[in-house]
Amino acid sequence: MKRQVFLIAGKELKGMARQNSLKILFVIIIMLLGFALYAGYIAYKQQRIMVDTAQKERRAEWLDQGNKHPHIAAHYGTYVFKPKTLLSLFDFGLDTYTGTSIYLEAHYPHEFMFRPVQGYGNMIRFGELSAALVLQLLLPLLIIFITFQTFTKEKETGTLKLLVSQGVSIRSIYLGKVLAYTLIVFTIMVPFFTGLYIVGVIEKTSSVISNMGLRILLLFSVYIGYLWAFTNFSVWISLKSSSARNALLTLLIFWITTGIIIPKTSANLGETLHPLPSTKTYKESIQHDIENGMSPNDTKEKRMARLKKDYLQEYGVDSLNQLPLNFGGIQMQEGEEYANKVYDFHDAALYEKFELQNRAGSLMGFIAPYIAVRNLSMAFAATDWYSFNDFQEKTNTYRRHLIRTMNNDMAKNSRYGEFYEYKAGRNLWETISDFKYLTPKVTMIFKYYWMELASLSLWVLIMFILIPSSSKTN
Amino acid sequence: MLEAKDLTKKYGDFTALNTLNLSIRAGDIFCLLGANGAGKSTTINLFLNFIEPSSGKAFVNGLDVEKNPQKTKQWLSYIPENLQLYQNMTGLENLRFFCGLQGGNQDKEELEALLIQSGLQKDFVLKRVSSYSKGMRQKVGIALARARGAKILLLDEPTSGLDPKASNEFSELLLEMKEQKVATLMATHDLFRAKDTGTHIGIMKEGVLVDKMESGQVSFHDLEQKYLRHMHT
Repeated sequence: MKRQVFLIAGKELKGMARQNSLKILFVIIIMLLGFALYAGYIAYKQQRIMVDTAQKERRAEWLDQGNKHPHIAAHYGTYVFKPKTLLSLFDFGLDTYTGTSIYLEAHYPHEFMFRPVQGYGNMIRFGELSAALVLQLLLPLLIIFITFQTFTKEKETGTLKLLVSQGVSIRSIYLGKVLAYTLIVFTIMVPFFTGLYIVGVIEKTSSVISNMGLRILLLFSVYIGYLWAFTNFSVWISLKSSSARNALLTLLIFWITTGIIIPKTSANLGETLHPLPSTKTYKESIQHDIENGMSPNDTKEKRMARLKKDYLQEYGVDSLNQLPLNFGGIQMQEGEEYANKVYDFHDAALYEKFELQNRAGSLMGFIAPYIAVRNLSMAFAATDWYSFNDFQEKTNTYRRHLIRTMNNDMAKNSRYGEFYEYKAGRNLWETISDFKYLTPKVTMIFKYYWMELASLSLWVLIMFILIPSSSKTN
Repeated sequence: MLEAKDLTKKYGDFTALNTLNLSIRAGDIFCLLGANGAGKSTTINLFLNFIEPSSGKAFVNGLDVEKNPQKTKQWLSYIPENLQLYQNMTGLENLRFFCGLQGGNQDKEELEALLIQSGLQKDFVLKRVSSYSKGMRQKVGIALARARGAKILLLDEPTSGLDPKASNEFSELLLEMKEQKVATLMATHDLFRAKDTGTHIGIMKEGVLVDKMESGQVSFHDLEQKYLRHMHT
């Protein structure tokens, strides 16, 4: 049987190699992938240089801001930039939408700025050409074109009967065909991922993205699983279809439904089931809670009165002037801590909704494998929502540390009631280390994307089940 | 070598083959005559296990084809009315591929010689099958049967549409294989070819084998009369 499978695979490959139309399609896909990789690499390099330069400039600005009151420095603030990960050249993911820099200052966690999508206009609706998009949507289309008549043509011309009359089982023919097409997929993918790995080694991006080699290997495995399942499905449809026309129609309907309609619908469904508050409502609620407190006992006046009482009691003094530290700094930090609490509370509620929306999308991966592979691909490339969220959390932590350091310095080194009299300098600014970012470990993906992994595994399993199991030849 | 015991195939209420009993020995060429839909192709398809019988059994070399679908095929070679090989491969490549499926490992020269012995012009051996005539393709089919050392030939109207010369060449090849003790079951509309080539002739009508004779015991005129009588009753 093994020999028959290999012979049939060889025959399929030879047949395809002799069809000019398929050769052209193959070359187009290779060129598209090459172009996507090259364009991604150029964009990556440009943005990396831009980010590195901007980060250095902002760092120099922070250090060279001169002597000033720490709270003024906290408002002077600084910018941090989201470093582009090497794998984002393969899968842009949400990078286009999430923004690249954020201004960090006291009191307000600002929004991300310079989202590439802002400059794209309507074109973005059609998606950018990334290598991931080629593998997720265009390569399956190539698979459809090379496989839709693999069985129907043999049935129509009678060669299938001839094959079966030689004692070859349908299972062997099926496996031979799937093997041939899988080899074609490998031929496209192996050089591409090898190239990606080599670029990764050259660029030495381990300071930004963790587990690079493992991520590339996992990306490769996920795509091989997805494309193998797609190949298998296409061959199975060809086996079960009465004509090439029916097979092509069925496969194109599947491609459009699972690659375009369901992903769009699932995004809308997520929004409908778990609507997000408007930006206005979200900001107003936060502002309200900061000003009036999240409970009647937490109004600004009550909190400050409690703080004052606690400090006077702790140091055993009667007035704030007698405290060995500047109560103004303590007040500032308390206000900051409370604002952080309010932001964390509202952000948690918002992220919960995002999470529910994401879950609704992930569930759709069970009926549309494209969704599962798209989400996993973004995750391995560290351009997904969770990676962005991780970056956002780390910038938040950095901002809070910066402000806390400024407020603590004010409390420790200045006197109550003084403001402009006290000035800190470079020594203080240098205690705030430069912002460095490293993506989360790859294990995070298994925690957040188990549903995608399960749905893709299920698709692969179903495809195994679909392989004709009978050794019968009728 | 080939045996049908009460072999029956029904499609719903329609009986395509009705309790066929038949035995073909090594060196026999059994020609099945009959109009379209008489059950000739159904018989061949049942021996090939392309379809399952509704009742009865088909045996190849004493083995039930339903129970031994793979094994029985190792003795069989099948040539349909319009043998379609892989168009974008040469005759030689097709032959090598199909032989390989059965474990054959003949070298290129051996297969080339077989094609030429089977009547294919040398110029065409290395040409793609898309440039072959129907007769040429049938010759590749015979070469395949020879290369595989098939003991049984199942031919479904193999000379239909061939010009008289090609048809005659095909008959000669069958007679050569008969000498090598190959058993042949051939469905055909061609009374002349059946009388000329066959050792035995059967006439089928509406799924029933209505007459059976040795071709040596009947003249062409008598065969024609018998055939027409069966067709009109």
